[in-house]
Amino acid sequence: MLWLTTFLLSLGQPPAGWRIEPPSIHLTGKWSPCQVRVLDPLGKDRTSESRFSITGKIASVDPHGRVLALVAGEDKLMVTCQGANIEAPIRVEAGNATPPTFEKDIQPLLTRLGCNSGPCHGKQRGQNGFQLSLFGFDNDFDYHALTSESRGRRVFLSAPRNSLLLKKPSGEVPHGGGKRLPADSPAFAQILAWLETGQGRTPANTPALTGIQVFPREISGGNKEQFQLRVEASFTNGARQDVTHLAAFQSSESVLAEVDADGRIRIGPLPGQAAVTARFMDHFSTCQVTIPVGARGKTLPGRLPSEHFIDRRLSDQFEKLGLAPSEPASDTTFLRRIYLDLLGVLPRPEETQAWLGDPSPGKREKLARQLLDRPEFAEFQANKWADLLRPNPYRTGIKAVYNLNSWLRESFRKNTPFDQFAREVITAEGSTFRNGAAVVFRDRREPEEITPIISQLFLGMRLECAKCHHHPFEVYSQEDFFRFAAYFSRIGRKGTGLSPPISGSEEIVFLANSGTVKHPLTGEVLDPAPLKGKPRAIPAGEDPRKALAEWITRESPLFAKAAVNRVWADLMGRGLVDPVDDLRATNPPANPALLDALAEDFIKNAFDIKKLHYSIVTSRGYGLSSEPNQRNQGDGQNYSRHYRKRPRAEVLHDMIGSVTGSRADFAAMPAGSLAMEIWTFRSPSEFLDSFGRPDPNQDPPCDRSGDSTMVQALHLMNGKGVLARIQDEAGVVKNLAAAQIPLEKAVEELYLRCYCRAPAPLELQAVLNIAKKPGSARRQILEDLLWALINTPEFILID
Amino acid sequence: MNSFRHANLARRDCLKLGLGALMGGGLSGALKASSMARGKSQAKSVILVWLDGGPTHYETFDPKPDAPLEIRGNFSPIATKVPGIKVSQHLPKLAAIAHRLAILRSVRHDQGNHGAGNHYMMTGAPPRIPVGCGAFVSYHPSLGSVTASEIPAPEGLPSYFSLPSMTRSGGPNFLGSKFAPFVVDGSPNSPNFRVRDVTLPKEMDGAKTLSRQEMRQAVDRFARFADKQLNDPSLALDDHYRQGLDLMRSARAQAAFDIHNEPDRIRDSYGRNDFGQRALLARRLVEAGVPFIVLNEGGWDHHGGLFPALEKRLPTFDATLAALIEDMAQRGILDSTLVLVLGEFGRTPQINKDGGRDHWSNAMSILFAGGGTPGGQVIGATDRQGYAAVERVLSPEHFAATVYAKLGIDPAKILYAGNGRPAHLVSNPETIAELMG
Repeated sequence: MLWLTTFLLSLGQPPAGWRIEPPSIHLTGKWSPCQVRVLDPLGKDRTSESRFSITGKIASVDPHGRVLALVAGEDKLMVTCQGANIEAPIRVEAGNATPPTFEKDIQPLLTRLGCNSGPCHGKQRGQNGFQLSLFGFDNDFDYHALTSESRGRRVFLSAPRNSLLLKKPSGEVPHGGGKRLPADSPAFAQILAWLETGQGRTPANTPALTGIQVFPREISGGNKEQFQLRVEASFTNGARQDVTHLAAFQSSESVLAEVDADGRIRIGPLPGQAAVTARFMDHFSTCQVTIPVGARGKTLPGRLPSEHFIDRRLSDQFEKLGLAPSEPASDTTFLRRIYLDLLGVLPRPEETQAWLGDPSPGKREKLARQLLDRPEFAEFQANKWADLLRPNPYRTGIKAVYNLNSWLRESFRKNTPFDQFAREVITAEGSTFRNGAAVVFRDRREPEEITPIISQLFLGMRLECAKCHHHPFEVYSQEDFFRFAAYFSRIGRKGTGLSPPISGSEEIVFLANSGTVKHPLTGEVLDPAPLKGKPRAIPAGEDPRKALAEWITRESPLFAKAAVNRVWADLMGRGLVDPVDDLRATNPPANPALLDALAEDFIKNAFDIKKLHYSIVTSRGYGLSSEPNQRNQGDGQNYSRHYRKRPRAEVLHDMIGSVTGSRADFAAMPAGSLAMEIWTFRSPSEFLDSFGRPDPNQDPPCDRSGDSTMVQALHLMNGKGVLARIQDEAGVVKNLAAAQIPLEKAVEELYLRCYCRAPAPLELQAVLNIAKKPGSARRQILEDLLWALINTPEFILID
Repeated sequence: MNSFRHANLARRDCLKLGLGALMGGGLSGALKASSMARGKSQAKSVILVWLDGGPTHYETFDPKPDAPLEIRGNFSPIATKVPGIKVSQHLPKLAAIAHRLAILRSVRHDQGNHGAGNHYMMTGAPPRIPVGCGAFVSYHPSLGSVTASEIPAPEGLPSYFSLPSMTRSGGPNFLGSKFAPFVVDGSPNSPNFRVRDVTLPKEMDGAKTLSRQEMRQAVDRFARFADKQLNDPSLALDDHYRQGLDLMRSARAQAAFDIHNEPDRIRDSYGRNDFGQRALLARRLVEAGVPFIVLNEGGWDHHGGLFPALEKRLPTFDATLAALIEDMAQRGILDSTLVLVLGEFGRTPQINKDGGRDHWSNAMSILFAGGGTPGGQVIGATDRQGYAAVERVLSPEHFAATVYAKLGIDPAKILYAGNGRPAHLVSNPETIAELMG
């Protein structure tokens, strides 16, 4: 079926026979090979099945289709595959007269061979005293390190062949990094030629690299299929050059599609999507790999029966990947899910019964509207954002943390539009005792300390790497980082600074008269500029942070995307971009069209957080069952079924409060407070610690562990606190035991409380059978039952 | 009565397990595979005593009697059982068993604050970015978590314990929370000490527990998606529930936890204080087969009042450590148990105006004993005034590589983070030959 689709699609294209890419091969100089690809009449990659030959002596070709020049002249590349014979003309120009130069020829080789990578000579203190800049971003430094340091042993002028630069990586002299440059390789010959011809630098007027392009941009294939990538570089003079042999390749999901050092992709058995990135010097290009589900019984790929904008994008993806969505979740599952996702609390039994009994067709939408208006929604949002912003009270002071917490809660109670929320954080000023948002700048003080948290929170970008060196997976340089940091250069503070572990005093954040940020290497004073964006003039008396906030919330394409991605991840169990704060070209979203559509919807709704939640929870996609079918077994990133998750520590704690009818008391909180209302992670709780609430001592402090552990299992089984709540004299069990109702009714209520459903007749019977045992007291039975219900995955997880 | 019933249950479970293993080759096959994958090991277990704050090298294992008063401080060195090796005067009991000790005096690094120093020593990897003093950072799995992921403990016991809390960077990082330390808080010195949540609450007698398990079985109808690629979190919950039950039912584990069974004579010899009894509990865990135990001992950040503080602290520290090492030697388990004593860094040569010493990572001392370590030796040296390691200068990487190699874990191994990022277990896998024996 799928094969047929491919076939029909290909019929739509202009008729073509077998093809070689590129159709004609031009080679200049003997160290620049060209990788070819062989495509059959359907456009399928057949490079790995082809046999290559060249009759004449001007060039050679290896079994993988890489053509290498020998002498100037013209000839033909002959390709045989599946009985077809194809050829492509080859022209070799005598470029050998120009000796290799450092920036153009040698630096790319060092990068390709891994010499300047993080674990080798690129690491901060080098390796064995030999240090290169990470990935070759600093030409001057590296040239000096090679040619001048170590008393000229690395480059031995009188006998270039004896240079350590050749003898070490070729394994002639022991090399910690192993044999990386065989003495018979073209790269070896090229480096030797560079040494012999005087170690030239590349002249400044040489055409500069402007970008690279990987071919093809998109691949769709099945298990064990192979694809050859080609990478072309383009230069300022318009020239293009094959750099496949110099590019480094990386797959975002090696399990799905692995790529080898020569750019050959091999598809694995699992359906899904992967991005294969080619890197050449500081440029990237990505090939999207799609692996549709193959034939699976009688189930066909399918769409969701809905025109909701989210469902349309999800369905497009299902079709592309050959997935079929799971069935809609049952009402009981949906009810429990939406309560826990939006409010972080369980529905009361009467709420459950009323909703389950409601026959009206639009009841899921109606419920979503009601829940979004409840105060718990705001508290839950605040609890989530507290993970990201709330500092350690020992460091910034108790009152400051309390104020920040109050400010956060107030923002979500008012449903402040998210762009305004971001602006209030980024431009916060005034007293830490009056404006909670200003506490962010009491905690993070230096511009380079503030930069990564702001970019991570509001742009979903991890800039940390660019602080010390060019970002290894991104286009951002150290200069970009410090220009961004320069927006925070004029934050003034007066009052009492930090004095951990008490730091109780007030501090006032204001616009200082001066303040600059310098490039850490050149010492140059840098003007503020947005990341790869146009700087705007900042009037003399204006806080530069205002301009930044404007750029982030109004111009940056990442702001809305990062925000919707976080909310999507919360509700759907995994971000469209995962991890949620790592948006970059080399980590593309699982469904780019959906991320765009969500961001568009968010902007259209003036960054209304409630409306964003409403859009998502009213989609069919959100309401799917977690149970897989034959056609979506392996899907872990396209949401063709709902992904189960464990609620965060506070929610689980409050869930136990709700099913036992016994709320724990927390230090520094009114009696009966919910755990998600706690204003500091310092409030002692064995339960919350066991279930991975963030430790405010962690840096970065936003780390929350969602994993389950044995300590958690033991705590639920045997924890004194949990037991005491089950046995609470004012609790649910005590009351049910005392009530004048049949045992069946009591059992049913506990089921409703814990699982949001009544027990099935068989389940009820099983419980009653245990209860029948002689000597079983009614209260004891109900306590055991509640304990048992709490200790099952059906209670602990959101299905 | 309880324990009797549990012992029976445990025995029955063992029988079942044994049978399954025989039939499927499952467990025994797995054990065999894991021991083959590992290299030759000298040590089966590690007890790492972490002196949080950064212990002074002058007043412990690297006294400098020839330095001027403002550097050498108030204490004098004493001779040990091994001619030529001297330690601080308040460590007489360790001095008396110096033939069992290897003192490493020449580790130095470049991380002078607690967060960074802890990370470097606990993981063998420097923090990737500069971190603040109060920071709790994790960029790399700790020694304990790596050990837990490589060496299973028997009978459902956790493989990595940390008492009474986790150290700052003692976590599993990308290895996942399965290898986080099992933290046993509370003081084993207290008369009603018990390991939290691993035993049934007092009011639950055996019959009640059984009815609970029965009840749970009756209500647990939740669908599990067994296929691994579905990543169903209920499978992890099942694993942990089972592990938890195993631990509760494990006679071996419960016996190890029950420090109250230890004869008074032994308990006294370790010292009737928190540290002493935790060290004793650590020995019991080693006997039960636990491969990695950290004793996280705070209060070694002596910026002021160093000498009076140490006059109080060192005698119990000395007594406990000496008792631990000697007790394990008597029991024949010292050879297979590596005892390590260290902190983030050493302390400044010049005594400051508050009578303390500040952070100093140019020199620090680390104590090794057991686990096949040749005793009675000093490795490396600092200069005459203790400013810096100058002979046989070693790094935290050397230290970590040595610990791993002793456990039979290849320090040159490459680990992969969840996103596929490769990470060297230790970036420089060279071990310290003198300690390898």
